[in-house]
Amino acid sequence: AAGMAAPTMEERKACWGARDEFWQCLDSHGDDAAKCEKLRRAFESRCPQQWVKHFDKRRDFLKYKKKLETEGFHPPEAAGKS
Amino acid sequence: VAGAVAGAAAAGWLYVRHQKERRQRSRRLRDLRALALGQGDFQLRDTAGTARSKADFLGRWVLLYFGFTHCPDVCPEELEKLSRAVELLERDPALPPVQPLFVTVDPERDDEAALARYLRDFHPRLVGLTGTPEQVRAAAAAFRVYVSAGPRDADGDYVVDHSVLTFLVDPDGLFRDCYSRSRTAEEVARSVRGHMDTYEPLPL
Repeated sequence: AAGMAAPTMEERKACWGARDEFWQCLDSHGDDAAKCEKLRRAFESRCPQQWVKHFDKRRDFLKYKKKLETEGFHPPEAAGKS
Repeated sequence: VAGAVAGAAAAGWLYVRHQKERRQRSRRLRDLRALALGQGDFQLRDTAGTARSKADFLGRWVLLYFGFTHCPDVCPEELEKLSRAVELLERDPALPPVQPLFVTVDPERDDEAALARYLRDFHPRLVGLTGTPEQVRAAAAAFRVYVSAGPRDADGDYVVDHSVLTFLVDPDGLFRDCYSRSRTAEEVARSVRGHMDTYEPLPL
């Protein structure tokens, strides 16, 4: 078996909590990451780096999904006009 | 008199058809049984290091989930759900006990000790299985579970992308159903109960 042990239940919950606090901060500051630096650092310290990447991608996906649901799908302009 | 004869003939015909259907079902069930023993099998080890294959679980309903201990969120959530579904079913003493099963898709890191540590937080009867990379690969393939380990970072850490499904296997080792992330524990328990109600053991 390689490297570090997997996070325990307590560690997972601490990570998820830090993530949720960071995301709540982003939600209330229109996704302005600069306003949430402290919580970002806490999030990064509580979660394995791989999980931080995973959750960042997840947030992007959730935002994109929300955008599709509220604004609808607009195909990119680059698809040539006749 | 003609009516009585017609009635008897009709009853006779219905009986013959019923018998034919029964034989066909019986034959189909026998074919299914032969298939079941070949399909969805695995050769793995539990957290005590004991070799386990599907044959060890015949005679029991099984709820099986593939995951890994370094999983950020999905696996703990699915295992919570699985544990809760089993608990809901346990409340009915008339139902046979369901065996919860976890198979790792990350055998390099998830050895017996890692699995035992991880699964402690979930249902007490949850059995964890691991094996060599080849054995795990074969088990995932047998269940058509997609597995793809991601790139390692500077610490050697990585996540494993995999299908998120909980499989229901009946006491004959046949697949009965599979449950995606969107199903709740209550829905899973209800579905399992339904399968138990309609279950007929395969003829020996």
